Amino acid sequence: MRNTIKVAALSATAVLALAACSSGKTDDTSTAGSSGASGNKNIAFVQGVAGDEFYITMECGIKAKAAELGYTVTTQGPQKFDPTLQKPIVDSVTASKPAAMLIAPTDVTAMQAPLEQAAKAGIKVVLVDTTVNDPSFAVSQISSDNVGGGAAAFEAIKAAKPGGGKVLVISTDPGVSTVDARVKGFSDAAAKDSTFKDLGVQYSHNDPATAANLVSSALQKDPDIVGIFATNLFSAEGSATGVRQAGAKDVTIVGFDAGPNQIKALQDGTVQALVAQQPSTIGSDGIEQADAALTGKTVNPKIQTGFTIITKDNLSGEGGQAAYKSTC
Amino acid sequence: MSALFEARGLSRRFGRVQALDKADFDVNAGEVVALIGDNGAGKSTLVKALTGNLDVDEGEILFEGEPVHFATPHEASALGIEVVHQDLALAPHLDAAQNMFLGRELMRAGVAGRLGFMDNSAMRTKAAAAFTELGSAVRSVVVPVGTMSGGQKQSVAIARSVAWANQVLFLDEPTAALGVVQTHNVMETIKRVRDRGLAVVLISHSMPHVLEVADRVQVLRLGRRVATYQAADTSVEQLVGAMTGALDRKEGAA
Amino acid sequence: MSTITKPAQAIETSSSHGSFLERLKAMQSVWILGVLIVIFGAFAVLSPTQFLTTGNITNIMQNVSIWAVIAVGMTFVIITSGIDLSVGSVLVVSSVVSAKTMEALGGEGWGVALVGLLVAVVVGLLWGILNGFLVAKAHVPPLIVTLGTLSVALGIAQIITGGLDIRSAPTVLQDSIGYGRIAGIPAISLIALVVVILGGIGLHKTKFGRYTYAIGSNETSARRVGIGVDRKLVQIYALSGFLAGLAGLLSLAQFGTTTIAGQSLTNLNVIAAVVIGGTSIFGGLGSMFGSMVGLFIPATLQSGFVIIGVSPYWQTVAVGAILIAAVYVDQQRRAAASRGKGV
Repeated sequence: MRNTIKVAALSATAVLALAACSSGKTDDTSTAGSSGASGNKNIAFVQGVAGDEFYITMECGIKAKAAELGYTVTTQGPQKFDPTLQKPIVDSVTASKPAAMLIAPTDVTAMQAPLEQAAKAGIKVVLVDTTVNDPSFAVSQISSDNVGGGAAAFEAIKAAKPGGGKVLVISTDPGVSTVDARVKGFSDAAAKDSTFKDLGVQYSHNDPATAANLVSSALQKDPDIVGIFATNLFSAEGSATGVRQAGAKDVTIVGFDAGPNQIKALQDGTVQALVAQQPSTIGSDGIEQADAALTGKTVNPKIQTGFTIITKDNLSGEGGQAAYKSTC
Repeated sequence: MSALFEARGLSRRFGRVQALDKADFDVNAGEVVALIGDNGAGKSTLVKALTGNLDVDEGEILFEGEPVHFATPHEASALGIEVVHQDLALAPHLDAAQNMFLGRELMRAGVAGRLGFMDNSAMRTKAAAAFTELGSAVRSVVVPVGTMSGGQKQSVAIARSVAWANQVLFLDEPTAALGVVQTHNVMETIKRVRDRGLAVVLISHSMPHVLEVADRVQVLRLGRRVATYQAADTSVEQLVGAMTGALDRKEGAA
Repeated sequence: MSTITKPAQAIETSSSHGSFLERLKAMQSVWILGVLIVIFGAFAVLSPTQFLTTGNITNIMQNVSIWAVIAVGMTFVIITSGIDLSVGSVLVVSSVVSAKTMEALGGEGWGVALVGLLVAVVVGLLWGILNGFLVAKAHVPPLIVTLGTLSVALGIAQIITGGLDIRSAPTVLQDSIGYGRIAGIPAISLIALVVVILGGIGLHKTKFGRYTYAIGSNETSARRVGIGVDRKLVQIYALSGFLAGLAGLLSLAQFGTTTIAGQSLTNLNVIAAVVIGGTSIFGGLGSMFGSMVGLFIPATLQSGFVIIGVSPYWQTVAVGAILIAAVYVDQQRRAAASRGKGV
């Protein structure tokens, strides 16, 4: 039994030590519960998934702007892009009563109720990147013009392959607002152009390994695919791997998002163009809107940010700037 | 007087090995018969055949004078014949009372019983009584059997079998792993079982213990019974001689 | 004259063996409760106005409810020294078939919801029976069987829906079960509590539960005494499947969607909770209370860490460490027990 006591004591000490070392904020006991109180300068950022450079870049933009305006930010994110994992985190964030929450919801339906509860508790909710079915409780929605981004991706493939041919889309999961919009933008543009045949969408469930398998299988079936549009970072990573695995030459891959692996793939020539969002801008815009809501200024309910097309040619200049970061 | 339980001319072959070669065996109620033989003599095979664990190629088994055939061990159990194997077949996480009634739990009366609720206190009381009667060294029926000593475990296994066996009880090497005091306790328990009127068959390698507790000794060699002795009239040398074949020309009373 | 070394006193038959304190100390689940209390206390001290609120605590309860339902079945399975990796996928496929049925029936009321419930548990039950059959009759190890059904069930869910979540559960489900409250307690937690209590009674008080322990403790001996081990195993895995099906409906009620892409870590999280709670993966040992305590530990850790602002990566480190510690302690106890603290 003595061992068990030791273990229990150790775990308790570990928990306390962890908390002391890594806690980003102290308990705001001076200002009583209400999160709208002027003294509360805490903002929580809930990512769609932890460890994704898109959200890390967003975090950098958030932290920079927050520091400028005098807010403290804590970041949390689920291990996978999964609403069943994100919901408990949102519940806990709501309990911690920040002044505002910036969140990228992982499902348009599942996250509706938890976020409504957060708004009801007086927290200013800003939706960044993705959205939900009924965003009326949020003070602002900020995302890239994903439809335009998808269309631009098609243009990039067209520029590389003016003769036309078969094109394929590798997306993550249906029901995620942002990628669905990109797919729509791409498919609509492809439908208008008779020289291209759209082979449709396959879903990689945001797993690079699955994307790789889907692409190499698709290339076995249709070796004459000329272009692949990968709708996000993990899908683009996997698609490049899949093309290599299939040994295919001269497939134009346009990826969405510009993480370090994709920039490298661009440099190596396995991916030909990247449509980079501006996550840093989305983040700092989010803080600005939260601040506006908290200080009673006018809020902009919907902001669409732009994107940058990165190719090997502009990597050293504008393109390089738009690449996503792995650390701030 | 015909034996309670007997085998006549059992034969069984496994591939090229003739495990039983027209083997005989008999045991009466209220006696302890020791079945001895060297390794490979066919003791386990004989026990398996007599308890429904194995089919035979030839020969017959008689219970109370009538021929019987066991397709499964449960058919043997139904006649009141039980075996305590060397591994004891106890569930170590369950206590002695639970082990004793395993598979044959006492249920509560009425609806509760049909829903699956057991009468634990009745089982515990009965178990304690059984252990006391057998003189076992078990001190508590509510601790996990896995924490008990070898001798206590042995007595739990024997008590379980005796509770359900009312005719013949086979004990396979019951004292093999036990110390002196524990062995002594198990020997006493065996005597008490015999005194209740059961027929007890003891398989053992230990000649001294065999002579101490058995009434008769039957020796198996190369798949057949080569000798039967009254324990009081024989000695360790004679038994060993029969086992190894040194006394082949001498046949004991069958 | 008997020469047996008789015990000095009468044989102990009372179930209250040892003093109350001794019995308490012997239960692993009590120790794990201690760990939970320590963790809870630590966060309460660090963050009194945020962690220790009824709102936060009810949220924690609500969020463990679905896992609790699955953990009841998993406790039975692991006590038999088996394992069920397929629970997350069975949850998903049950919710998919249920949602599709309710969608086809149309309507928002209780009638439709009850049909959905029936469909969900029947689907779960069928998967469970399949698992049990393969484990018991085909003698395939449970790890392999349930790994296989994990993939097949999920695949079927994706085939049925084309990968698209069904987002149309009847409103009564989401309003009264998903987020409804009865006397301030989340309805979904009350449902889970009922399941846990029934499961606990079944495990600790009935013959079915005792046979579960017997099979896990020594399967050969269970067979020898005439217990229908194969049948029991099928029933136990069927129970696990049934509860995963129920969890599927509850998930539908809570999230309003079938979350086909989700639930990927559910099986491991539930297994970890059950093992932390004192159920041994070697079989024969475990308790329903322990499993529930084990369930609350990761959930409380996560809530606390989020509130005080610890990085999410530390959360998984902490849960993993506690899991290993719990199994280590379990091993120590088993070794001490078999070293013969003989009675």
